[in-house]
Amino acid sequence: MGRRKIIASGEGGQGVQALAETLARAAHNAGLSALYIPNFGIEQRGGVSLAFVQVADGPIGAPKFLTADLVVALSPRSLRRSEQYLGSHSVVLYDSSLIEAPQISDEVVGLQSYETIAPEAFAEKTGYRERQGAVETGSRRVIALAASDLARQRLHPRVFNMIILGAIVSITGVVTLEQVKEALEEKLDRRFRKDPRLREHNFAALELGAAAIDEKIREGAHR
Amino acid sequence: MEKEPAGECRDFMTGNEVIARAALAAGADFMFGYPITPQNEIMHHWRRLAPQQGRGFLQTEDELSAGFAAIGAIISGKAAFSATAGPGTVLFQEPLSMAEMMRLPVVVAVQQRGGPSTATVIYSQQELTLTCFGGNGEGLRLVYSTSSHQELYDYTIKAFHKAWRYRFPTFILGDGYQAKMREALQLYDPVRRGIGDIPKEAIFGSVRAGETEPLLHLRNSFSVEEELSEVLERHLADYARAAPALVEHEFIGVPGGELLVVAHGIVGRAARQAVQELRGMGRPVNFFRPITLRPFPEDALREALQMSGGAVLVAESAQGQLGNLVRLAASGEGLPDFRSYYRPGVGITAEEIKEAVLDERALDAAVLAPGE
Repeated sequence: MGRRKIIASGEGGQGVQALAETLARAAHNAGLSALYIPNFGIEQRGGVSLAFVQVADGPIGAPKFLTADLVVALSPRSLRRSEQYLGSHSVVLYDSSLIEAPQISDEVVGLQSYETIAPEAFAEKTGYRERQGAVETGSRRVIALAASDLARQRLHPRVFNMIILGAIVSITGVVTLEQVKEALEEKLDRRFRKDPRLREHNFAALELGAAAIDEKIREGAHR
Repeated sequence: MEKEPAGECRDFMTGNEVIARAALAAGADFMFGYPITPQNEIMHHWRRLAPQQGRGFLQTEDELSAGFAAIGAIISGKAAFSATAGPGTVLFQEPLSMAEMMRLPVVVAVQQRGGPSTATVIYSQQELTLTCFGGNGEGLRLVYSTSSHQELYDYTIKAFHKAWRYRFPTFILGDGYQAKMREALQLYDPVRRGIGDIPKEAIFGSVRAGETEPLLHLRNSFSVEEELSEVLERHLADYARAAPALVEHEFIGVPGGELLVVAHGIVGRAARQAVQELRGMGRPVNFFRPITLRPFPEDALREALQMSGGAVLVAESAQGQLGNLVRLAASGEGLPDFRSYYRPGVGITAEEIKEAVLDERALDAAVLAPGE
């Protein structure tokens, strides 16, 4: 699998760090090398929160990197902030319920722009069928997911970040949903025991996010 | 999965937690601290874990107090330590100078943040000079610069052992990245691994076996110059004698290398990755990482330079603090080709180091081209 580099970004308090840490922990539990580092500053809330995650089958070098395979942006500001990590092969996942179509600079990512090509079209163009191959196809893809809307309508606003995490799992294929669930169990053990509904909500959110991406992939493949 | 050896487990945690766990595993007795980002979680984890094992914690009113309190505990034979960063490291210099003068084995973890002054709470490598030479003395200190969580664990344990064995203030020089990032490491019990217990003893009132002179008389002030000079010369001689056994480094390379990339700490990691990628491309680039910054592995560096044709690129998140140590170590040999990638207060990625190496070479090629 080589090395996968993921940037997760959003507003402070959106749960960006929690999802990044959970992803890294799941990869670690799966026997892979994993490194997670938050980009932290003075602000506790209300600033842009950025997380760097790397997953590899060998040793990982520097904790940060210049180009991400996947950039996850959960707010317009965070997208602007994380644009600098986009390369020609990067995939962008953004929350379309919170933000308008992202204005990604053509200078940075060439053709990539939400306005010009919808994600499904990208998928078709690159012959992208299996989720395992999502980051490896070398395609420039923007994937919109109305995670916040989904969370509000179907589950609970607080599990919004777990919908995103489910989507990341489906896009990257670096770990399985089961491994992420185990990592969550480990991290939230006490809280899950205190309130089992919390577990249900979190797990349902993961499934929902993954299923939403799978659906997009199927639509793309059958077009 | 293979069964873990007794007392061992693999875990995934932040560097700050690693240091607290290592101090606990090493058998440290007491932490005195004052909060400052990005080291706070060392205190938090120690405070949470230590009382269960009968170890102590005191949050003092400031860094000076934390340092002096640690010194007091050490004199009474307790393995005491502290952790700090940035402006806190500046304030720590007064008690650290006293520890240097009185040869007290205080251990301090420094998680570098941006400077000067408050600057950023995030990251830098700008506390190298301060940690190595910050006191009003000769820098008789032992400084370990780590580049992974495993090293944070190993060298925190080692710091206590070396500090008490050689009686010099000892530092684990980390940074905000190492403090906050999470990665895997193997936790172990140093006693079960044969490393043993910290060789601590009550310093006040003690006479060490084999010592001709009791260490009972601890002084940090002298009335005559010659008196001080005599003591300092003894300390300097002790330091010089201990240095060969203390210096540590990492080297990847072969003779006939075209360039030696030198970096320490977390940047060493980026440099190693860059060098490995360059070597994969067929470029004979060598890599040197000092693990002890004080004493500095001068002989090993000179040897590495010779294997690299005297061409060196120093990469650091500071404006030449490591570069100066490299120049000093190489003086006499001469440095025909010294390049730097200095980014004070900012992280350095493997991509950037690779680019810095290739850019320079590209320039060289352009210069050579017309003569072909």
